[in-house]
Amino acid sequence: MSFSRIVNNFNYVFSALLFLMGLYTVAVKPNLIKKLIGLNIMETSVFLLIVSLGMVGGGEAPIVEAGVKTANIVNPIPQALILTGIVVAVSTTAVALSLCIRIHQKYGTLEAGAILGREVDV
Amino acid sequence: MSLSATHPVLLVAVPLFFAALCPVVGMWKRAACFYWALAGVAVTGFLTWTLIGKVTASHALTYNVGGWRPPFGIQIRIDYLGVFMACTITGVSMLVLVYCHRYATHDLKPERIPYFYTLFLLIFLAMIGFSITGDIFNMFVFMEIFSITSYALVAITGQKAAVRAAFKYLLMGATSSLTILLAISFLYSVTGSLNMPDISARLGSMRSTYLPVAAVALAFFVVGFTVKAALFPLHGWLPDAHSMAPSPVSAILSALVIKMGVFGILRIFFTVFGRSFSGLSASWGTLLSVLSWVAAIAIVAGAALAVFQKDLKYMIAYSSVSHIGYILLGICMLSPRGMTGGFYNLLAHALGKACLFLVAGAFIYKLGVRRISDLKGLGRKMPVTAGAFALASLSIVGIPPSAGFVAKFYLVWGSLQKGQYAFVVFILLGSLLAAVYCFRVVYYLFFTASDGPAPGVDEVPVTMWAPCALLALGTLFFGLYSGLIIPSLQTAARLLLR
Repeated sequence: MSFSRIVNNFNYVFSALLFLMGLYTVAVKPNLIKKLIGLNIMETSVFLLIVSLGMVGGGEAPIVEAGVKTANIVNPIPQALILTGIVVAVSTTAVALSLCIRIHQKYGTLEAGAILGREVDV
Repeated sequence: MSLSATHPVLLVAVPLFFAALCPVVGMWKRAACFYWALAGVAVTGFLTWTLIGKVTASHALTYNVGGWRPPFGIQIRIDYLGVFMACTITGVSMLVLVYCHRYATHDLKPERIPYFYTLFLLIFLAMIGFSITGDIFNMFVFMEIFSITSYALVAITGQKAAVRAAFKYLLMGATSSLTILLAISFLYSVTGSLNMPDISARLGSMRSTYLPVAAVALAFFVVGFTVKAALFPLHGWLPDAHSMAPSPVSAILSALVIKMGVFGILRIFFTVFGRSFSGLSASWGTLLSVLSWVAAIAIVAGAALAVFQKDLKYMIAYSSVSHIGYILLGICMLSPRGMTGGFYNLLAHALGKACLFLVAGAFIYKLGVRRISDLKGLGRKMPVTAGAFALASLSIVGIPPSAGFVAKFYLVWGSLQKGQYAFVVFILLGSLLAAVYCFRVVYYLFFTASDGPAPGVDEVPVTMWAPCALLALGTLFFGLYSGLIIPSLQTAARLLLR
């Protein structure tokens, strides 16, 4: 593995780093909002990876008309996937934030230790 | 375009229509939402029922959404397994929905009832869509719909412990969804396709330098879906979420939603990668033996944890961890017999576990008690629900002539055929432990003198006991008449293994 290969594929390296950063935040940070931010960083890293898969250097937008060389157009499918992915991520975050509001009302805190440590009450 | 040509996609489109209009119906009249949701599930159930004949005639029914030919567009592809899943989902959902009628008005704030039925329809359609789609990204989208809906459904009562459980479930669930999305993107980067059969064909002719990427994708898929399925070491979210949710929701989550994780593994293993995918031939054996050992440990660990629970719903939830082990063990055997056992346990557990959770809900409805020791003597006061519990317990344990017995019989037969006697020990030990945790409750219900419950306690309303009784009788029916679907399941297994 030469250094230049890493530099040339910096998009993959960065999305891997972002994914790990997000995973670390979800797993380790005690604050629920920070965990959600970590989750969003993970999501962004996956979106970055997918969208960069469809990238073609110097490529054109995938609108095929007369005179457009079809050999040099950007793959539109990853972009469509990411649009869907963003909708999914926003919905997850919305549900999670509303749960956070409810947790704060019930427990008076958003620190995972304080919430998880309490006895289960029905 | 005739209606019959669009038949496969209607399975998703009809409940989506009903779900979208459910809040509108709720604005008009809250009480009408139940009947609206019931109509949606009933119409979908009818459509699924009429589909069975078509699928068995042609092995797989396809429909190109929007007229885009595969591999470019989304293709709905209903095979034997897909129609089996769809039938299980509609059957169980229908009965649970009937139960919801009285339970929801008792347990939920009135203004939340329209949203409850909307979420119910959404989770229902997402599970059906997940089972019948032939497109891997579409599968991810359906998976996200039922995941996000189930986080919301767990927390719908707004109780302290339920909200906490829902958040824990969300963190695990969202992380596992992301690993699956990451796996899809890896697979797309080496194959350039999202259609499952097309990916499978392209993997066969892939350049060997891409092999590690495909292997990593497979690993991410397995991790993601085993979290969704709550396989033993990754089951941490399940007991809280399934026991703190309202009981009908627990029934749906435990009977159906965790099966979707297993179904995802099935799709990835057989439809996408294909066992014959030569690029990984050396790794397949290792992967499958590791997974089957994990599944075998899950059987015993889940059952052992269930034995120590004092709370009825926690006990039932841990029992699900054990049963996911059975299903996955059957699938990992890679023989028609073992897989048939796995599929049959999927059905038996869906019926039995839905029944147990609904009965637990009935006890909460009448008495507000959850501790097993508080159930003393209830069998005489609530004979139908308690009887249903006992009957469903027979299936969970695997005593003849229940459906659970048929499933375990095939699993044991499959392991004997493979010469893996250790798995037989695990399966039987799991059954033994199941007998301990189930019959302890049955003992409290029927064989102890009543000293706790108030004298006014009687049977729950008919819309609550009838679903419990039907589910319990279902486990008996599919035990006695297992010949009705075993041949189709064997065909399904053979088609997957081909």
